[in-house]
Amino acid sequence: MRALKIAATGMSAQQLRVETISNNLANMNTTAYNARRAEFADLHYQQISRAGTVNASDGTVLPTGVQVGLGVRPAAVSVHLAQGALQQTNNDLDLAIDGKGYLEVTLPSGQTAYTRDGALKRSAEGLIVTSDGFAVSPEVTIPDDATSISINAEGEVYGYFDETSAAQLLGQFTLAGFTNPKGLEAIGSNLFTETEASGAATVSTAGEDGLGTLRQGYLEASSVDAVREVTELIEAQRGYEMNAKVISAVDQMMGATTQVR
Amino acid sequence: MENAGYATLSRQTGLMREMRVIANNIANSATTGYRQEGLIFSEFVQSSPGQQSLSMSRANIFNTSMEQGQLTKTGGSFDFAIEGDAFFMVETPQGQRLTRSGAFSPNADGDLVTMDGYRVLDAGRAPVFVPPDAGKIEAGADGSLSANGRLLGQLGLFKPMEQHTLVREDGVMFRVDGEIEDNFDAKVLQGFLEGSNVNAISEVTRMIEVQRAYEMGQSFLQAEDERIRNAIKNLIKT
Repeated sequence: MRALKIAATGMSAQQLRVETISNNLANMNTTAYNARRAEFADLHYQQISRAGTVNASDGTVLPTGVQVGLGVRPAAVSVHLAQGALQQTNNDLDLAIDGKGYLEVTLPSGQTAYTRDGALKRSAEGLIVTSDGFAVSPEVTIPDDATSISINAEGEVYGYFDETSAAQLLGQFTLAGFTNPKGLEAIGSNLFTETEASGAATVSTAGEDGLGTLRQGYLEASSVDAVREVTELIEAQRGYEMNAKVISAVDQMMGATTQVR
Repeated sequence: MENAGYATLSRQTGLMREMRVIANNIANSATTGYRQEGLIFSEFVQSSPGQQSLSMSRANIFNTSMEQGQLTKTGGSFDFAIEGDAFFMVETPQGQRLTRSGAFSPNADGDLVTMDGYRVLDAGRAPVFVPPDAGKIEAGADGSLSANGRLLGQLGLFKPMEQHTLVREDGVMFRVDGEIEDNFDAKVLQGFLEGSNVNAISEVTRMIEVQRAYEMGQSFLQAEDERIRNAIKNLIKT
């Protein structure tokens, strides 16, 4: 009977893989999205006889024990951190991070979240916010009479007012870095929050501590590789079918057993 | 039951066990670093004094295939695959374990850990530390990790002195009930993961074989049952 349950763990593992792939493909055009990958590990092994057991009748030692595995479990759905291609948009509030840093965002609850999605907008008050309207911190406000703004690689935001006067420094964006960015918790809307696994954020100026620089007028594209995902999808589908085949084979064996009188 | 029945029964039990092994192999066909498992049948001769000896079948020899699994490019800087006959060593609360699954990442403290959070050990069997501000990590074929030309450490590569001392544990890990030695012949590839070495086609073929053999055994038992039944019937008639 156990073979049925083992194959069932295999089927649910392949299903998780398909779910991960479909989420990756769905986010093929999401700004700064990083592909996820489902990772698996084998389950506990049942010891039927231990290696090294001494055979009582003739004193020989069993060289290998009898262990039967009990299937597979998902070990992690890990983020594959990769720099997405930079796409030119020429929008002066679009920022791409060329490096491994994150922009800091303040949620309405007061909690801090992090994002690599630099498609920024202006609120009614002139505050620079994300597409969802969350303020980027440190907060930068653009006065109404600014004709254009420019953001340099270090995140300094300059405003131009008229052709005669020099540019004015309005504020400076910082970047946050993590020891283990894979440990960040995704909360949707391209946002992440820090966890025990990621470690605390270290905030510094763009261009320092290996966090990368900012590029105005560009957005980071999704790093999903469609060809790879589709290949994985085929593999997952076949894996699922094979596990289902095991179930039907075991079922037929059971059928043969019950027919014996 | 007569002896013929017992001999068949021992075969049937073994086939059922083999089916479980196949199911486990197929279930783990997408598990990083998984090693295929096989089952070998052996003859078990039961001798009873003054009577004919009886030969039974016993399926209790397990072997682990050490064939190289397929390498999949992931591009992750903390994904490592081993080419050759070696293992990474990880530190678990139960002791040191070997694994071929090289999907690592640094934890919050900067130690390189497996997906289950166990620390990966270097050639000197000490944890591998990756500074958070190290920048891009490059790995050499011998497992040495460096960032910007500065050596950070070296992933340890090990193998058991004797292959049969490997005992499977969950989480794609092996316990070694014996000596572990260094292995300098194997190569480490960065940005790759070694897939499961389960050969899907041979497993499915084996599955069909086992299924048919089992059905054959059952029909033999059925025939045996009828033979005894007829014998009893005829004995009562006379």
